[in-house]
Amino acid sequence: MKLQVKFSLYNAVTKIAIILILGAIILFSLDRLAYNQLDNRLIKKKNKIIKNLNNNEIDSLLNKEQSFTDYNILKEEFIVLTDIPDNQKDSTSKVFTEKREIEGDIEVYRILNYKFSYHTNWYNLEIGETMTALQSIKNSIRFYMLIVLVAALLITLVADFTFSNFLLKPFYRIIDKKINLVDDPTHYNYQNIPTSTSDFKILDNSINSLMRKINTLFALEKQFIANVSHELLTPISILSTRFENMLNTPDIPVGHENKIYASLKTLNRLKVIINSLLLISKVENNQYLKTEEISLQQEIDDIYEDLEDRIADKNISYSANLSKDFHFTGNKALIHTLLINIINNAIKYNVDSGVIAITDKTEDEQYILTISDTGSGMSPALVENAFDRFKRGNSEENGFGLGLAIVQSIARFHKIDVDIKSEEHKGTNISLSFSK
Amino acid sequence: MNVLIVEDEKSLALEMDEFLSKEGFIVEHAWKKSSAEEKIFVNNYDFILLDLGLPDGDGFEILKQLKAMKDRDDAVIILTARSAVDDRIKGLDEGADDYLPKPFSLNELLARMHAITRRKHKLEKNEVNVHDFMLNIQNRTVSFGDERLNLTKKEFEIFNYLVLNKNRVVSRMSLTEHVWGDILEVNSDSNFVDVHVKNLRKKLSGISPIDWFETVRSIGYRINC
Repeated sequence: MKLQVKFSLYNAVTKIAIILILGAIILFSLDRLAYNQLDNRLIKKKNKIIKNLNNNEIDSLLNKEQSFTDYNILKEEFIVLTDIPDNQKDSTSKVFTEKREIEGDIEVYRILNYKFSYHTNWYNLEIGETMTALQSIKNSIRFYMLIVLVAALLITLVADFTFSNFLLKPFYRIIDKKINLVDDPTHYNYQNIPTSTSDFKILDNSINSLMRKINTLFALEKQFIANVSHELLTPISILSTRFENMLNTPDIPVGHENKIYASLKTLNRLKVIINSLLLISKVENNQYLKTEEISLQQEIDDIYEDLEDRIADKNISYSANLSKDFHFTGNKALIHTLLINIINNAIKYNVDSGVIAITDKTEDEQYILTISDTGSGMSPALVENAFDRFKRGNSEENGFGLGLAIVQSIARFHKIDVDIKSEEHKGTNISLSFSK
Repeated sequence: MNVLIVEDEKSLALEMDEFLSKEGFIVEHAWKKSSAEEKIFVNNYDFILLDLGLPDGDGFEILKQLKAMKDRDDAVIILTARSAVDDRIKGLDEGADDYLPKPFSLNELLARMHAITRRKHKLEKNEVNVHDFMLNIQNRTVSFGDERLNLTKKEFEIFNYLVLNKNRVVSRMSLTEHVWGDILEVNSDSNFVDVHVKNLRKKLSGISPIDWFETVRSIGYRINC
């Protein structure tokens, strides 16, 4: 989950909690307040009645009957005065809530019950006031509180989201521009992303200094590669020209001549290994440009022309049927090296009169080129180590296993996935997946 | 023809000198950028074999100065072990005629020099006569009298390379690298080049005896003339 969303959700949740607690407190105290006021009113009314009471009045109220009841038209209030037996201990007043039926209407009333003695006679006074109004006020307060709650929540969510979006924008820009989009450290843009948040400034500067270190290492590596190449290739160069001159000296003994030639071959082997390692290092050191438009079909055709005679020598039946002409941007020379390594291996390790088939398909937004052969294949353990430098595929051949290491580094450089499927004595399928 | 070898590695320069002198070139040396500049200022050369990494500067600067001079037609071949990726492109952009990474085969160097001579001066005919076989370098064909030989591309390349290096042993290794290019293979000495040479010789000897086309033991081939 994004930080921004988390922030907004956290804020929303805490605000809901606060509003809920506050709401509960308000509702509860509102309840208490309302009851209090109601009770006070009832007590005041009772006191007024008691104060204005006299014998005649009670007599007229009770009108020789046992009880007197009165209520207003809307049945919001009622008063009941009852003559009760005279054996009461003392006068008490209590307030309670009860349902009462008045002329068939049942309503909830707050009732004050008061027993009192007047001129040795005991009476029971009940004053009631309806709760319906209070209930409806409470309901509407609840309703409005809910609306306010929801509205506040929505506003909070939107505001938080917008604000954190604004706040975090420099962060995402830093991540994007300084990390995600950086393909080649040598073309890194050190310019700071504008932000007033000091944490992001620290992040930005840290990434910059990290990149500076990487760049220094990259430059050092480049220098190292150049030095290694100069220091190793120059002596080889001297020796090989010297041997060549020796070979062209007339009348040298045959045995020496053979040894000189063998030395030349050894030097050549050394040269090939050094050049292969240098190639891998240079690819990994991003020294190549990837700006050429490459047609796979064209490259495969060119390679076939180069290797035609080798294919013919082994009497291999070769087919390259591509369903489409796939184009992409990369380094032509490197792609040529990659493909020629794979196809050359397919020839080298193939059986006489074997088959090499180059096919393609489009799958899940990927273009997949497959080169399959009917050669000696590789054991599962070998497939696993296929890209390891200096692992030899077939001990009888004079290969040094750098071919596949070269393939891998070039493929990585171009973001091509290489997949090897191989079965011993049956053949090998190498698939290259190009993302579109 | 005179050649200036600009190379700080003396033993390498001397080996090249030995080889080119035998070919009839007049060779001069410069070990440093400063001495190379002096020599280039004073003399015209047919070829300048230029190393890039010199003790007192970059070979590219010499190339720049040369190109800035008027009426100079010295062919420049860059020889370098620096192996920076863009050096080759830069070298050719700056006006070098060819670029040969070290280590190179002397046979290859000679072949490139011949190719440049043909391209530059156009004095030499595009045809080379080898024991009455006429190689047309432009059309990449070989004929004998009126008869046109049906050679494959590779067979022509082999024949041409051997003719360019006539009277010298050309090793299988050098031949393979020249014809098939540098495909970074350790066993470039494998015998498939022999198959092509065998076919070539069959085609040539079908027309005229080729006792001048020698196999030099286990090493390679030589065309004598």
